[in-house]
Amino acid sequence: MTTSVLPDETVLASGVLAGAEWITIRREDLREAMQTLQAQGFASYLFMTCVDHLATPVVERPPERYELVYQLRNMSAHRELRVRVFVPEGDPTAPSLHDIYTPANWDERETWDLFGIAFEGHPDLTRILLPDDWEGHPLRRDFPVGGEPVDFSEDHETWQTAPPEA
Amino acid sequence: MGVEQLVDILGENILTTTLGKVIGWGRANSVWPAQFGLACCAIEGLMHTAGPGFDIGRFGSEAMRASPRQSDLMIVAGRVSQKMAPVLRQLYDQMPEPKWVISMGACASTGGVFNNYAILQGVDKIVPVDVYIPGCPPRPEDVINALMILQEKIKAQGIKPRI
Amino acid sequence: MADTKLDQTQQGITITRTKRAGLEGDLMTVNFGPQHPSTHGVLRLVVDLDGETIRRVKPVIGYLHTGIEKQMEALRWQQGVVVTDRHDYLSPPINNLAYALAVEQLMGVEAPPRAQGLRVLMSELTRISSHLIWLGTSGIELGAMGIFMYCLREREKIMDLNEEISGFRMHTSYIRPGGVMADATPRFLELLDEFIREMPGHIDQYEDLLTRNPIFQERTQGVGILSAEDAIRLGATGPMIRGSGVAWDLRRDRPYCGYDTYDWEVAVESAGDCYARYLVRIKELRESVKILRQALDRLPTGPVNVDDRKMLPPPREELETSMEAIIHHFKLFTEGYSPPPGDVYVAVESGRGENGCYIVSDGTHKPRRVKFRSASFVNLQALEHMSLGHILADFIAIIGTADTVLGDCDR
Repeated sequence: MTTSVLPDETVLASGVLAGAEWITIRREDLREAMQTLQAQGFASYLFMTCVDHLATPVVERPPERYELVYQLRNMSAHRELRVRVFVPEGDPTAPSLHDIYTPANWDERETWDLFGIAFEGHPDLTRILLPDDWEGHPLRRDFPVGGEPVDFSEDHETWQTAPPEA
Repeated sequence: MGVEQLVDILGENILTTTLGKVIGWGRANSVWPAQFGLACCAIEGLMHTAGPGFDIGRFGSEAMRASPRQSDLMIVAGRVSQKMAPVLRQLYDQMPEPKWVISMGACASTGGVFNNYAILQGVDKIVPVDVYIPGCPPRPEDVINALMILQEKIKAQGIKPRI
Repeated sequence: MADTKLDQTQQGITITRTKRAGLEGDLMTVNFGPQHPSTHGVLRLVVDLDGETIRRVKPVIGYLHTGIEKQMEALRWQQGVVVTDRHDYLSPPINNLAYALAVEQLMGVEAPPRAQGLRVLMSELTRISSHLIWLGTSGIELGAMGIFMYCLREREKIMDLNEEISGFRMHTSYIRPGGVMADATPRFLELLDEFIREMPGHIDQYEDLLTRNPIFQERTQGVGILSAEDAIRLGATGPMIRGSGVAWDLRRDRPYCGYDTYDWEVAVESAGDCYARYLVRIKELRESVKILRQALDRLPTGPVNVDDRKMLPPPREELETSMEAIIHHFKLFTEGYSPPPGDVYVAVESGRGENGCYIVSDGTHKPRRVKFRSASFVNLQALEHMSLGHILADFIAIIGTADTVLGDCDR
């Protein structure tokens, strides 16, 4: 059912998890696939986010470190679709979708700010949530949670989400 | 009318006091907060406290001024993020003397629930605080209690300048 | 370029007006700083004005960035509920609900019927309290000072209800994965019944103050028009699209917690201006009271938490007799439960629009990623489109109608 919206060679994987349909596509096909989906009726762009799979403790390793997740909705058909794109650690860039889906503009700025993924073609890729002179990308798994260490606390693991291998 | 009667009448209508007490009494009962609501504490501590249930206007704080230049008290209501900290300091500097700061809630006092990179762990790192209110968010009655403690402090200060 | 002079004679008096050269078409940049009474939070807006007309609006956010998503990666699944309260701080139980539904879907459990009924009660109470703050602050910004006090009077009753059921006035953390925190006390049900009986009269009072008030109508009709196509294109949700004629409400179209079993209507208006959004929210207040009445009348009996010892701790009495109960208790409070690996997105309808929670689990006792889809973050992007060409005084009305909560926006 999910592959009927996009040609088979574009979709690398697909499935249904907890009632939601998802597909995985290549980074190079992202813009074209999004334009096709929009033409097919997925007019609502809900959100985009990034997941950092650094040192993830599951048996099946994800193909790359960063995974961009887009959630689209077709209001008239009551259908939602999750589109995944994997972005390698060595080349954290992706094409920008701001001219296809307008709400992507700020989502991409936020992802740049918090994860360091550069979006090619974005008109104003600057920090949005953190001060302009901030260094680092906080939501990456190797950036510590920060804050103040609490004396005598046994819960030291809360200060650092970076796993020991990172 | 004789002089004795005049002295009797005047004796009942004259109070003697010190200048410090009068100024302290005047300042304490007309503390004007600046509208500095940042987050959830603003809803409880500014809106509900100024609202009909827990009227802070009874204590003289009816006029919540939007401009820091016209206010005496900065109630830091809410979490202070890294981007907001220089703005807070600038607003504090814009307030004319005498000025006081109440740090309302756990986030303003110590960083609260958010012990992370984004939140200033206590507003007393950048401004001097007179009264701290714990709670997340504190009840409006806690805010009024803090205001009353501050009023005692102001009355005790009198005309001595703050250093 | 020389200054141009123009002589005007009126009633025998001549006035010379001088138009200074070089000022034609100059834009003046005004900063609505982060500390401003009308921006509904710490929002900074940089506005370019041509006289009084707005030519460009650039919102600058981030003044309330709390790092909630990073914080939740450092907390266990059950500890994260406390932090979810605090991002959209005008509707804490609705944030809890999005997170709780997402975790339950991943774990493959469903809350029992009484818990779902209680969840609906709390969600609708929260929607009413969120709209009351919106109504009060929007009114006070446009000069209607009385409505603020009236709305807070009702909100105090909702705070009392919150306190009765959970102990907290505001950040209740009442709705948790697996069910709710505790059962409703009889006094809560009594107070709620009284509230439901009185509320329609109060809503009539608000309407008396504003709906046919000519000043309010002048300030909100024709201001901030958002067409239906633009609303969908800009990704707006909630009263922002329902005021433009798009009848989309997550409670009806992607139902959760049994909302499709109640008899209520989606509030829709077609004008697309601030007045239409005001009417939508007033109607939502009335519909929420209707849902509250139905939910209260048919609140089922039964447990309020799912009976899964791997997710929720056993009752204290069992710890005296059962070794298994002790082990479950120990495991849950030292390590916590671990949903199977996967991801899920659940969206609920808050006062602002679609508030969603996207969680990614890697099979451990802490989340890999928690992302909050924030309605205010997306609705704020529509602000520039709605305010171009308007004068500065209307801009205040438009900021009010967007009903953004900066905690929700900046997370």
